Formats: sequence, structure tokens, C-alpha cells
Amino acid sequence: MSQFLQQFANGLVLGSTYALIALGYTMVYGIIQLINFAHGEIFMVGAFGGLATFSWIVPDGTPAPVALAMILVGAIVTSVLAAVLMERLAYRPLRNAPRLAPLITAIGVSIVLQEGVRLFYPGAKTALPFPRLISGESLSIGEVTIGRVALAQILTAAVLTVGLTLFIRRTRTGKAMRATAEDPQTAQLMGINVDRIIVITFVIGAALAAVAGVLQGMRFGQIDFRMGFLMGIKAFTAAVLGGVGNLAGAVLGGFLLGLVEVLATEYLPLGSAWKDVWAFVVLIGILVFRPSGLLGERVAAKV
Amino acid sequence: MSRLTASWHKRAETLPWARAAGPTWLQIAAVVSIVGGVLAVTVVGLAIEESNSFIVYLAVVSAAVIALQLSGLGRWISETFTSHSRIAAVAGVAAAVAFPFTQGGSGYWVRVFASIGVFAVAALGLNVVVGLAGLLDLGYVAFFGVGAYTGALLGGARLGTIDVQLPFPAVVLIGGAVAAGVGVIIGAPTLRLRGDYLAIVTLGFGEIFRITVNNWTGLTRGPNGVAGIPDLVVGPFDFGERHELFGISLAGFTNYYFLEIVLLLGAILVFTRMDQSRIGRAWVAIREDETAAEAMGINTTRLKLLAFAIGAAMAGVAGTVNSHVTSQVSPDSYTFIESILLVAAVVLGGMGTVPGALLGSTLLFVIPEKLRAFQQSRLLLFGIALILIMRFRPQGLIPSRRRTRELQADDPSGGDGLGAPRAGPVPVE
Repeated sequence: MSQFLQQFANGLVLGSTYALIALGYTMVYGIIQLINFAHGEIFMVGAFGGLATFSWIVPDGTPAPVALAMILVGAIVTSVLAAVLMERLAYRPLRNAPRLAPLITAIGVSIVLQEGVRLFYPGAKTALPFPRLISGESLSIGEVTIGRVALAQILTAAVLTVGLTLFIRRTRTGKAMRATAEDPQTAQLMGINVDRIIVITFVIGAALAAVAGVLQGMRFGQIDFRMGFLMGIKAFTAAVLGGVGNLAGAVLGGFLLGLVEVLATEYLPLGSAWKDVWAFVVLIGILVFRPSGLLGERVAAKV
Repeated sequence: MSRLTASWHKRAETLPWARAAGPTWLQIAAVVSIVGGVLAVTVVGLAIEESNSFIVYLAVVSAAVIALQLSGLGRWISETFTSHSRIAAVAGVAAAVAFPFTQGGSGYWVRVFASIGVFAVAALGLNVVVGLAGLLDLGYVAFFGVGAYTGALLGGARLGTIDVQLPFPAVVLIGGAVAAGVGVIIGAPTLRLRGDYLAIVTLGFGEIFRITVNNWTGLTRGPNGVAGIPDLVVGPFDFGERHELFGISLAGFTNYYFLEIVLLLGAILVFTRMDQSRIGRAWVAIREDETAAEAMGINTTRLKLLAFAIGAAMAGVAGTVNSHVTSQVSPDSYTFIESILLVAAVVLGGMGTVPGALLGSTLLFVIPEKLRAFQQSRLLLFGIALILIMRFRPQGLIPSRRRTRELQADDPSGGDGLGAPRAGPVPVE
């Protein structure tokens, strides 16, 4: 039992990363119906932005909390910059293009970001060490042991999700986002600057992914230019699992997928060799049996 | 003879595409000399050793093509080729057959072009799925892998797990059939999904294939792969040996090169016959608007499944042959990036066309071979190319003529072979 609880906690930790990235997928999809394939790379770019800030900007001897804050800012700035450029140069010109065009572009963007980091970030051809700024003993809650970074991951995911929900429900910008998701043309007629709303959506998604990237780097103590791809696919799975376009769904999907992955790896025969397969199995199963996801609404085709 | 020519003229004038000017003999001479010229230009280009000179060469060739296009000659050429498509095809095959004899006994480029042949067969198969039916498959290389493993295991690999060696024609057929079967198994539950979702699910299946091959050591020997696949022997003819022809000694790879030409011709035949049939038109209808196609009485699920199966079978056949060419197969050869390379070949050349898939495959193989200096940034350039093509020329280098004519009128979405614009929620029951 205690082992099950421990694995359950591990699943929640993994799931919190998926949830943070899945939020970006789901928001962008909700507004422009684009599967932003490159979102996983935005997560990776954020982690590298954080590392770059630590290596070149944060002075030696800075107390850990200050350094952490600076790293987070650096990571967010890098990711947001990448996401805005990506939206402006690659996706916006294709806003009314046939549906395969932005998808193929997204694959291109994903390759460009990965290779860009691999070729131009010094030493990035192999994994790079990431500073562990949250240190200290692991905490024991009952029979479950949980690392401090892991705990921070769960708490961050929870706080940011609540914050994002409030932002979208309560603020004027949030209202404009909801209107644009509902019907971009009408939203435009109501005086909403749709282009601006779309950029804001990308910015928020990128910022969340950047935070996830920094936390991930601190937990494993290293980052790698390949870390984004599989993570992106799995986070997308989480978004689909919860119902694409639905914020609560993305978070629920993230945690569920984390649990499924950890528990399947632990308890199924040959589980660890097939570790990366479970997400795809869940994805295919959900798309076949309930394509609208757990919390999504069932919608018919518009003709 | 003159009556025959006259009747050709008459027939030509009555057909809507016969806008090509000039007498027939001149047109035929033009077709033959252009094909010969392309062969000559290719041979010259391949002989360039140095990267920078090759870039200059590429620039000159591109400038020449653009100049042809701007002067209106390009249009004349493409119309002439359409109205003499048989002669063009024969000339093209002759040029392809002649190619190894221009290499002075060296097998290097023949070997590269044999790989291009395999790749092009798979690209044509993918073109059925993506170009005609509009289903983006991001795990397509898995079918190629299924074929390759079938070929390896049934073809008598020295380091295999099954102790059989079936004759090559049987192995090819089984390889194609197994791949088609896998295609149907994957397609049946997933083809109800539309567009983007299908892309991700096929990506998932591609990864599952790779991981399965990696872990199923009892059958596939896992990460070690299956090695020691023998050279093909059909009847008394051993593909691995050097053969003499017209007094010119040809390297062992030339045999595979010729085999690839035969395969490629078969694939082209399958593709064009499909494209011009009722089935092909139904695929195009599905690609442009699935709901409307269904309303017109097209059984969309069955036709999409057919596209999937045919595409998979073509990749399977290509994979089977390739396992003999490379003499070993291992899971690393079937990664996501390989699927993307295939998609890129189709997108770059032009979706839904034969010359597009051929040109795309050739460029994707030859340019990295030539620009060794850029080996490191190959993938980066490749990603940039994908973005730029989608932005500025989504129809590809050689757009589909039928589609441009059918759809250019006033439909902003049509004509680029990418399907209808995204509209509304995507998943549909």
C-alpha cells in the first residue's frame, strides 16, 4: 500500500508538468484550432533560457531564492519571445490556409527550435547540468516521501492553474479570449483585437511551459535539447484526454496521464520498457472512443 | 505516316489541353532533348566535388528554371510534355537506364540513386495518403519498417530469428501484404478522426512500432536488429555480382538500381491509374470537403481505409527491397524524423503529383550528399524549408496541374492539395 501511495505521488508530480504544458496546447487549440506541435519545444527553450540566465546573468553568490526568481524570469522571457516570433512569422500568415499547412509548419518550427538549440547553444549537443536551486531534505508525509522540487512542481501547477482560471473568468482580456474562442469574426465585430488576443494566448502558454521547463530541469539536474518533443506529445495527449479547449480538462488530463504512466510502468509486466507507449495507447483509446475527451462537449461538424 | 501525323494533329486540336504550339515532330524532338538535357545537367552537377561550387550550380539551375517559367517557355514545355506523355515517359526511363553508364564504372551515385528509388516508391505511397486523400500520416515510416523486417526475416538473414528463405517475389508480395494489413488495423479505428488528430495518432503508432521492434527481441532481436540479409538472387541472376554490359563493367549496385527503376515504374503506374480513376476523384473530394463528399454518396471510411492500405503496401514493398539493399535492419532506421523526411519530400515536390514526389525525394537525398559542409545543420535547414514552403509555395515545386485548373477559379482554399481550410471543431463522430 505504501508503495502504491508513493507511486501515486510520483504520478502527480509527473502529471503536474504535463498539466502546465497541456494548458498551452488547449488554449491555443481553443482559439485557433491549431495543434501547436512546437509547444513542447517552447518548454525546452524555456529550460535553456533559464540555464542561460543562470550561467551568464546571475552573479556568483546570489542567494538561491533570488537566483531562482531571475532564472524564472529569464526562462519566461526566452519562451515568450520564441512563441511570439513563431506566431508572427510562421502561423499568422497561414491563419486562413488549408488545415494541413499550419500543421506541417508546426513540425518545421519544432525542428528549427530543436536544432537551433542543439547547434547554437554552447555545449547543448549533450545534456547540460541544471542548477538545483531548491535544495534540502525530502519531505515525508505519512509513508510517502516527496522531494522539495517535486512538491514545488505540484504546488506551482495548482497555483498557476487557479490563477489562469481566475484570469480567464474575471478579467476583460480573459473575457475577450473566451469571445474569440467562441467566434473570432463576431468577436472582431465587437471591437476585440483578435490578433492581439491570439498573441496573448501564445504568451500565456509559453510562460506556463517555461516555468514547467525550469522546474523539470531542477528536478532532474540536467536538460537536453530533446526533452521537449516527447513531453509535448504527452502533454498534447493530456489535453485531448481532458477535452481539447477545456482548461480544467487539460489539468485533469495531465494528472491522470501522469498517474497512468507511473502506475503502468510500475505494475504492468515489462512496464518500464514500454514506458513511452502508455501515453500513445491512452491517446488512441480516447480519440477512438471519446474524441471530445473527458470534460469536452460533443460537437458536430459545421458545414 | 503523314496521315497518322495528321490524325494526331486533329486529335490534339480537339482536346482541351492541346494548346502546345509547333508541329508534332518538333514537340517530340523537344521532349526527347529536354529529357536528355536534364540527364546531362544532373550528371554534370553530380560530378561537382566541392560544396561551394555545387551551391553556384544549384543557383544557376534554379535561375534557368525560373527564367524558363517567366519567359512562358516553361508553360509550353509542360504542355508539350502533357500532350506527349508517353514519349516523355519512354524518354525518362531511357535516361534513367542510361544514367549508370555515365558514371564510368563508379558505383557511388548509382548507389545513392538506388536509395532514392526506394525512398521515392515510399514517397509515392505517402503521396496517395497525403496528396490524394489528404490524410496526414506522421508515422508512415512504420509501414516501411514492417516491410523491411518482413523482408529481412523471410529473406534468409544470417542473423535472423526465423530460419526460412522464401523466393524474392514471394517475400515482396508478403511484405506489401503485411504492411497493408497493418495499415488496415491502424486505419480502421482511427480514420474516423479528422485532420490534425489523425496526424498525432499516426505519429503515436509510428512510435509504438519503433518501441515494439526494440522490445520484441524474440522476433526482431531488439536494438541489435536483423543483419546479414543476403543479396537477392532471382533465378540464375545474383544481384550482388558485377555484371558486364556492352563492354562496361557495372558495380553490384547497378543491379539494384535497375530493380528500383522497375519498382518505381510499378509505383508510378499504380499512382497514376488510381489518381485518374473514380477512386482517385473520390479521394480528392474527401480531401477537399469530407462532409460534402459523404453527402454525395462517397463511402468515406472505406475509401480512406483503401488509401491507407495502398500507401502502406507501397511502403512495405519498398521496405522489403531496401532490406536486401542495406543488408541489415534495425529500429533506429524508423524514427519520427524519417517519417517527416518522407512528408517533406512529398510537400517539397508537390502534393498529389508523380514528378513532385520524384523531385522531392531526389532533392532531399542529393543536396545533403553534396553539401557535406552543412551536414551539421541539415535538419535545421530542412525545418526552415518546411516553414518557407508552406508560407510561400504550399502547392510545392511541381504543383498538380489538374488541381490548379479545377480549383483556381475563385476558391481561395483550393488548388494547393492541402484540403479545405480549418473550420469549426475537428473531431466528428
